[in-house]
Formats: sequence, structure tokens, C-alpha cells
Amino acid sequence: MVKLTMIARVTDGLPLAEGLDDGREVKDVELYKQQVKALFKNLANRPNEPSRMSVETGPYVFHYIIEGRVCYLTMCDRAYPKKLAYQYLEDLKNEFERVNGPQIETAARPYAFIKFDTFIQRTKKLYQDTHTQRNIAKLNDELYEVHQIMTRNVQEVLGVGEKLDQVSEMSSRLTSESRIYADKARDLNRQALIRKWAPVAIVFGVVFLLFWVKTKIW
Amino acid sequence: MGTENPGRPSFPATPFAAAPPTMTPFSNSGSVVGSEASNLRPMRPTVPPNTSPPMTAGPAGSGESPAFRPAPPTRFNDPSLPTPPSSYGPPAAGTFNRFPTPPFGSMPPGPPARAPVVGQPPFQPPPSQVSPPLSFRPQGQIPGVPMGSPPPGVNTPQIDSSFPASRPNFQPSFPPTVSGYPAAGASSQLPLPGYVKQSNAPFQAPQGPPVQSPFQSPPVGYAPSAPTPSPHFLSQQGGLAQAPPVASPYGLHSSTMPPMGAMQGLIEDFSSLSIGSVPGSIDPGVDSKSLPRPLEGDVEPNSLPEGYSLNCNPRYLRLTTNAIPNSQSLVSRWHLPLGAVVCPLAQAPEGEEVSVLNFVSSGIIRCRRCRTYVNPFVTFTDSGRKWRCNICALLNDVPGDYFAHLDATGRRVDLDQRPELTKGSVEFVAPTEYMVRPPMPPLYFFLIDVSISSVRSGMIEVVAKTIKSCLDDLPGFPRTQIGFITYDSTVHFYNMKSSLTQPQMMVVSDLDDIFIPLPDDLLVNLSESRTVVEAFLDSLPTMFQDNLNMESAFGPALKAAFMVMSQLGGKLLIFQNTMPSLGVGRLKLRGDDPRAYGTDKEYSLRVPEDPFYKQMAADFTKFQIGVNVYAFSDKYSDLASIGTLAKYTGGQLYYYPSFQAANHSEKLSHELTRDLTRETAWEAVMRIRCGKGIRFTSYHGNFMLRSTDLVALPAVDCDKAYAMQLSLEETLLTNQTVYFQVALLYTASCGERRIRVHTAAAPVVSDLGEMYRQADTGAIVSMLSRLAIEKTMSSKLEDVRSNVHLRIVKALREYRNLYAVQHRLGGRLIYPESLKFLPLYGLALCKSTPLRGGYSDVPLDERCAAGFTMMALPVKNLLKLLYPSLVQLDDYLLKPSASADEFRKVMKRLPLTADSLDSRGLYVYDDGLQIVLWFGRMLSPDIAMNLLGPDAAAELSRVTLVERETEMSRRLMGLLKKLRESDPSYHQLCNLVRQGEQPREGFMVLTKLVEDQTGGTNGYVDWLIQLHRQVQQNA
Repeated sequence: MVKLTMIARVTDGLPLAEGLDDGREVKDVELYKQQVKALFKNLANRPNEPSRMSVETGPYVFHYIIEGRVCYLTMCDRAYPKKLAYQYLEDLKNEFERVNGPQIETAARPYAFIKFDTFIQRTKKLYQDTHTQRNIAKLNDELYEVHQIMTRNVQEVLGVGEKLDQVSEMSSRLTSESRIYADKARDLNRQALIRKWAPVAIVFGVVFLLFWVKTKIW
Repeated sequence: MGTENPGRPSFPATPFAAAPPTMTPFSNSGSVVGSEASNLRPMRPTVPPNTSPPMTAGPAGSGESPAFRPAPPTRFNDPSLPTPPSSYGPPAAGTFNRFPTPPFGSMPPGPPARAPVVGQPPFQPPPSQVSPPLSFRPQGQIPGVPMGSPPPGVNTPQIDSSFPASRPNFQPSFPPTVSGYPAAGASSQLPLPGYVKQSNAPFQAPQGPPVQSPFQSPPVGYAPSAPTPSPHFLSQQGGLAQAPPVASPYGLHSSTMPPMGAMQGLIEDFSSLSIGSVPGSIDPGVDSKSLPRPLEGDVEPNSLPEGYSLNCNPRYLRLTTNAIPNSQSLVSRWHLPLGAVVCPLAQAPEGEEVSVLNFVSSGIIRCRRCRTYVNPFVTFTDSGRKWRCNICALLNDVPGDYFAHLDATGRRVDLDQRPELTKGSVEFVAPTEYMVRPPMPPLYFFLIDVSISSVRSGMIEVVAKTIKSCLDDLPGFPRTQIGFITYDSTVHFYNMKSSLTQPQMMVVSDLDDIFIPLPDDLLVNLSESRTVVEAFLDSLPTMFQDNLNMESAFGPALKAAFMVMSQLGGKLLIFQNTMPSLGVGRLKLRGDDPRAYGTDKEYSLRVPEDPFYKQMAADFTKFQIGVNVYAFSDKYSDLASIGTLAKYTGGQLYYYPSFQAANHSEKLSHELTRDLTRETAWEAVMRIRCGKGIRFTSYHGNFMLRSTDLVALPAVDCDKAYAMQLSLEETLLTNQTVYFQVALLYTASCGERRIRVHTAAAPVVSDLGEMYRQADTGAIVSMLSRLAIEKTMSSKLEDVRSNVHLRIVKALREYRNLYAVQHRLGGRLIYPESLKFLPLYGLALCKSTPLRGGYSDVPLDERCAAGFTMMALPVKNLLKLLYPSLVQLDDYLLKPSASADEFRKVMKRLPLTADSLDSRGLYVYDDGLQIVLWFGRMLSPDIAMNLLGPDAAAELSRVTLVERETEMSRRLMGLLKKLRESDPSYHQLCNLVRQGEQPREGFMVLTKLVEDQTGGTNGYVDWLIQLHRQVQQNA
């Protein structure tokens, strides 16, 4: 079942359209949307990514295709046939290019083609049920070499940058903590010294005081 | 006396000639005065040149002279207080010396102080000033002016002579006076010119009345003394002639001031209006025709001082005063509300639309700290690399692609290509960061009551037809979504899937646990399911025509609608005809209990009984659903509860009491059409920012606050305005100017997310007078009415009205204290020019539907509905509702031809009093919500025949106005059409009323004539007198 559908421009990650009423039954839909946005940003930074890919995230899978500098992405259940998902994206792509083709490069505001959501919604309904005659026929069609499409984990895809961040964060935490340790050690040292010699110093002090008093009085 | 007469005639020649008309008003005051009253009356007629005969009679008859004598001694003693208060101008000193200085000095606090002094029999009037106020004081004051009399010598002799005669006692006190006098005289002249300068232009008009008052006074006080004055008088006149108009009045008085008279005159206050430039004055007792009336409608403040030309247009943002006080103490002395009224989407006339700018690529330029949007008031420094935020003064970097060099004057070279730096109102296209989800499609969901009463009234049919006719015009094609639920004792859902030919109806009768029978297709895309939707609307009226169900499961239906809509948000239109009786949210017939009125429980009738509705409203707002309620019930249906749905979701409540399709269909269909087709801003939030040191503390209107200062507006349009009050955070503001910025982030129907930004600046002042001068009556009235309506939710109507009254009194008193002292304006009500309509609007507010009367005056539902409406109205519409227009039409209709130009001339608004209605005329009354055509009893049958045809003789309540085959009828209809077009937010249904047709005439016209005294409420004149009295009382 298709849960989310998003279309974005690859060059700058600008969202162009999104399915209407998406993610109704999905818990944490915001989290997944965040991931999608991060993914788009990633794509913008790394132009050499394969044009078709499936990315696993939690109980769902993102499928996307990149065509003509536009990324069409959908999120489905893991059980949803990959073949149908890509067929769905293909349909979207064809219609989107037909309707908005020339304006894609010049779109200057987010969701410039939000009107496309009605088409997304309509198409989505066609793919909702895997058991319809139409969809079964599609499944049997060997139109696409779907099994060749790489599947990765979302942590892998998004994580490359994250890991570096983590390392540098850890090292910086290490330096600051070692500095704290050094300070503390010095402090303890001093305290130990005081504890050791303070009684002796006090005794001597008292003795001298007594001497001094004695000389004064006598 | 004889001598005096000659003098009098001369007066007319002087500026006073104009005065006579106003004279009459005084009669009232005269009576008030009491003992003196008798004198006064004769006087009035005489006032003009002829005064002399009556005059003499008056004084003599009344035997005033005796009265006077006793008084003098005491007074003089007082006066002996040698030095007049320094605060008074020199002229004042003069007056006072002669008279009881103390009273004058105390002027502002006046009344009490005087009372003792004046207390003496004759002078009662002055003490009583409070009551007779206006008319008398002026007089008194004028005499005071006498000092104006340049030749001191002349005066003194007179005084001497007269005084000895009257009393030996005076003599002792005299010397001081005399000595003081010359000095005063000399100095007085100086002040006069000064005064003139100030008052000249602005005051001339008002002066008319004041002058008169002086006139009268002389007669009263002076009559006895008359003989002596004559020479004096003449001389003075000569002197005065040169004096400016204002001065002359004084001259007159002084002349009239014989010894005795002098005393009296002095007691009274000075009527000068010499205050600064703006203030005006009224003599309440006087000519009711000259009272200020907003016959021009709302006038937006356009006289912004130099340097504020970059402000946004006042139709978007109006401050209650365009001068912000710099200290707490000043705020507390400005007794009116301090704040702003914002109408972010106000309809702009052709060619002045707000320009839309796209900053998506570079990001919108905003202040790092306070998030202010870039606006015309920011300054660029460091050769264009930095800009200083005008609100928090932080220095920000200019992003690379926004950089431009500065020219020699420090302006950006690309200024003319940057609307955001030259216009007070702009719209930015919002980048992705401003969206939590993709822009939502416009969504309309209808919740329609189909119980028996809505079938019977014909409501369903009208609604179905109207919606159908609007389908083409709903904004947002092709994304628009639409859906329907109907309900009686069960809830009916409709499957409108595009592949169907007929909608499928599903009935859910489990009201305790309502559920949605179908996951999709209850809400469908209009363009795809168009045929199904049309089929549904066609069959809707017939579907239920035999429905006998009287129950209403409103609460469950509401919940169902919420479940269907919650995913997207949008606009929910509720057509409600019966009191909710089943399921959650059912309401009791708590009724409009007459016994509750006047008790502390009274307010509870006006607040929602069941928290369910407020809770629902909160949920609706959270999910971006705006609710508009159309209520039709002819019986009590607790709109106080149901209306909260609209109130907290930024919606509107439309109320059609006893709806009958035959009469009201036009109104309903117009208003529903407008509701459906006007440009709407979806899922909006609004925030208003202001400079350091001040803060918006309270917000008033129909909306819900999301955090302390974020106004959540699920659906907002051009007919909604919001008010907010300011407070000072710091005790002293140091900056010269404060800035306000309203930012409305919304989704336009076309699917664009935008930010509309209005910016305005206002100077900070340390002078209360300036605040008053820059006050904006419209905004103040709008704010006052919102506060008052909110207060009806927690206290008695009576308290609310007196509260409004008190606020006006306090404000006027403060103003008076500001100026009366310097200028001794004792007898008049003074107010700044900018607030000249405030008292009238205050009166109108107290008589408006939400605040008027008690139990029997307005049905509770109507009161609540009007309250909800007034909370949302923009300033202009509110003012029109408070002070509707009344126009005489018969002349226009009789004239052969009329052009548009003439139309404007015809539309001359008349004061709202019964006096304006001539029984031979035909009048149109228009308050923006309805139009009433008033047929005079003696209206020529010709007109009536032409307009009404054969119905002319019938009872007008059953007659509807239709266009007939006559020229006259065509013109009338044309005119009504124009009236309606001028204010399209509501449809003004035209009611016909014939004079004398009770009770219809009563509640349609007569109670709405706000200036008249009706049913125990004040008329305009009384209201002013009362205001004035109170202003003076605790001054």
C-alpha cells in the first residue's frame, strides 16, 4: 500500500508536489517525512546516486526513481510488491512530465505543482489493492528489471554524513572530558597535601604561640 | 437697562451675528439654573439685537439684584486671594481678581470649590454649573474676559460706583481687585491674540456656539447693573472690534459687565476653546443640529505626520492613537484602549493590491533575533553589508544575493526595484521552512440539519441551490474538496465517489460512539466528482421533504464532520435549525430567563453552557478547520453555546431569526455565496510584532491563541478584523518611534503559501495632548465594542454600559484637565477634534444589539449573534452598524434623471433622530446588515403606487419590493443595488415600513435611531449633558 508520495527537484531538493492526505494511517508520519527530506538533500549533494533505489526504513520502504532531474518517491509497506511501486512511480513520472515538463526547471517556489496532487491521489487508488485484475496483470508483466534495483537501509544512506559527525563529536567530547579530568586531579592533589601537613603546622603554630606568650608575660 | 440696549444692538454687528441660532439651546440651561432661570428665559428671545426689553424685564422681575447682593461679600473675600493661580494666563488673573479667584483656579476640580463661594443665593447657578453646565459657564467665563477691556480705567470706575451702591462690604476687597485689574487688563490683551492665533482656523466654526453663550450670560447676570455699563460697553466694543473674532466675545461680555454683572460673569467660566489646535467644544444644551455626527461614515486617519508615508494603508492596520505614549503614567492617563485593529486581508481597491515577492531562492530577509521581516523602515549601514532591524535594533548581515551598494544618502541603489523596502504592505512567497505540510487544498464541508423545521422553512432548498450555483466559483480549482453530512436524529453520510452516478447515503444511528462508515469518498475532489455532487444537491431538498423528525443529533454529527475533515482541515459550514437534542453536546432549553436579568447570574445566559463546544472548537482549530455557523431557528436555540464554534475557529455566525425561504432566501443565498466564493486564506497564523518596550498583551476577536501571541486562524478572509491591546513593558520608552509589523502566514486558495506583512510606524510622544490629537475614533470604537462585548460574558449589561460610559468620561476628563486649566473652559464639554464622534459612538454602542436594554429589548439569541458578528467586523462596517445611514429618497426619485454624480449627492446622510423623518418623505435606513425603507404617512400616493404597485395600500410587512415597470421603481432598485454593492460582506434585506405601523416601525426604525430617547435610554443631547456633568464632577 502506498503511504506517502513526494516529488522533488534533485538539483536543490525543492519539493514540487506531494500526495494529498498522505500518511493517514502511518504513525510517526512526520519522522518519515523528515527522512524523505534528508534523502532529497542527500541526492542533491551526490549527483551520482543510482537513478532507482529502494531504501528500507522501519516497517516501510522508500522507492524512488530519478528522471529528468526530478525525484519521484513513494513509501510503501515492506510487503507491497516492488514491481507495483515502481510501476506507480513510472505512471506519475509520465504524467508529471507531460503536464509540467517545461516548467520544472523554472519553478521557484516550493510545491509549485501542488495541483498534481489530485492526479497522485487518483493513481494511488488504482494501486491501493494488489489483488485487482489490473494490478495482478502488471505484476506478471516483466516490464522492469526490478530485482536489479539496489536495496539499502536508510541509516546507510543518511548515515554517511552522520557517522563523521558522530566521530568528531566524540573526539571533542573526549578532549573536553580529559581537560576536566586534569583539573580535577590537580585539585585533589592539593587537597591531599593540605590534609597531610595541616595538623603538623597547627601544632607548631600553637607551640610557637605559647612560647611567644610566655616570653611576653614573663 | 436702557443704556444697555444700545450696546446690545451693536453686538450683532460683531462676530456674534452668527450666534443667534444657537441661542435657543440655552433655554434648557436656563431652566436648569434655577433661580436665575426666569431671567434667562426672557433673555433668549432678546438675545439678538432686541434683547434689551426682555432683558430689563428679566432682571427686574426676578429680583435678582437682591440675590446678588448677599453674595458679593463672600465672593470678594475669596477673590481677595490676591494672586490668581499662576497657571492661568494673565487674562485669567484679571478675571479672577475681581471675582473669586479660587473658583477659577479650581476650575478643573472646579465645581466643588466654587460651590462654597458661589453658594450664595443668586449665584446658585454657577455652583450648579455641574448641572446646567454648558450654557452657563460659558457665559460666566466670558464676563471674566472682560478684562479684555483694554481701558482699565473705564472699568474700575464703574466697578467702584456700582459696588458701593450694592454693598459697603465690597469696598475693602476692592482695592486689591482694582490694582490687579489694570495689570490684568494689560496682560489680557496679550493672551487674547495668542489665543486667537491658535484657535483661529480650527475653531472658527465651533466658536459660533460659544459666542452665543456669552451673549446670553450678560443678560442674566448683568441686567440689574445695566445702567452703568453703557459707556463702558461702547468703549470696549471699539477696542474689541480690532480684536480677532474670538476676542470679541469677551469684549461683549465685559461691556455688559456692570459691577454686579461683572461679578457674576467672573464666576462663570471662560468658554474659550483656545486649546492647541484640535480640540472642539460643544454646548450640549444648544443646538442639537450642530453636534458632531459621523455623516461621512468612517474616515480613515490619513493625516499621518511626515515620515510615516511608508506605513501600510490604514485599512490593514489602525492604531487607536498614532502617537504612542512613552511612559506608564501616560498610558494610565489615556483612559481609552491603547492598541491596534488589524484587518490583514482587507479588500484593496483595484490597482492597490499587495504585491507578491518571491524570495525562495535567497531566503526571506528577517532579523536574526526578533524575526522581523525586512521592511521599509530598516536601515542599511556599513556600505550596504549590514542592516539594522527597526524593531529590535540588532545589526544583521545582508545575505550575499541581497546585497546592493548604498548611494551618497545611504539609500540602496536598487531601492526602486525593491517593493519590500518601499511599501508598507507586501507578500512573500514562503519557502519550505514555513510549511509543516504541503499547502492544503481549499476544502468545504457542509453539515446540514434536515429535521422538520428546516424542511418547512425551505432552508434546505435554498442552501442546496446556492451551493450548486457556487460550484463553479469555489476557489482553488482543480484541487477543491467538498463533502456533505446531513443529520436529524441520525447522521447521514454520502459517498460521492467519482465513479458513481448517484451519491450513496449511509445512515449511522449509533450516536454515542459515532464512526465513519467509509474511509474515503466522503470528502471528494470537486472537479472529479462534479456530477455526483450536483446530483446530490439536486435531490437533497426532495430527499427529506417528508421528514417528520424533530430531533437534532448535532453533537455527534459535528464529531463525524471533524473526523472526516481532520486530515486536511478546511472550512466547515453548519446549517443549524433545531436545538441540539441528542447525543453529546445536547443543550437544555435553559431559555431566556427574564428573572436572570439584573442579577449577578445574568451573564451566564450569554456564555456557553456545555464545555463540549469550546472543546470541539479547540480541536477544530488545531486541525485547521474553520467553522461558519448559519442558524435559522425561530425558537431559542442557545446560540451562545453554538456560536463558540465559530468564535474560536476564526469563523462567523450568521443568524436568520425565523427564517422563511420566501422572505430570506435572497439574503441567505447572497451571504452563503460570498462565504463560499470570497478569497480565503487557509491554515493561517498571524503574529504582530512591535518595538522594544511595548508588548501586545490581549487579543480580541474571533480566533484562538496558539501561544501567547500567535493567533491561529484556520480560515480567514477580508471580512474579518482582529484587535489587540498594547501595554508598556518599560516605564519609559527612549526611542523616538515604534514600529508594528503584522505578519500573516497563510495558504492561498491557489496552493501557494504566502506571508503577508504589514508594517507601520508611530511616533513616541511624551505629551498626552498629542496622543489625543492623533487618536483614531474608528479604532477606539472598534476596540471599545469588543471589550464591551467580552465583558457581557462576565457581567451585567448594565455594568457593561456604564463601563463604556465611564471610560469615555474618564478620557474626556483627562483631556479637560489638560486644557481647561489653562484656558478656563469651564462651561463646555471639550474634546479633541479627533474624538469628536466618540461620545456619539459610545452612545450608539450602548444601544447596539449586544448591549441594549434588558430582557425584553432583544431576544437572547439575537443578542449573542450580534455579539459574535461585532467581534469580527472591520472598523468601517462596525461604525456603519453603530451609526447607520439614513437618507431621504423621495426627492431623488421624483427628479427626472439621475447620474452617478447625482447619486452621491443624494446620499446625504441625515442625523439619526426621529426629527429627520418627515412624514411626507421616503427614507432609506442602512446599517450594513439590513435596509429599511420608511414610508412617511403623508408620502405622496404617487410614489407609493409607483414603487409598490397595487400593494401600496396593503400592510407593508407582507409586501416585498420588486422591480416594477416604472421609472421610479427602476431607480429605487438601482439605488438599493448600489447600496448593497458598496458593502458586499452581508446582504441587506430590504424591509418596508410605514410610519405609524406599530410595532414594526418601533423595532425596525425607531429603536435604531440612536440619537433619540427611547425606552429609558438617553438621547444624544442628554448623553452629552450627562457626560459633561460627570466630566466635571470629579474633575
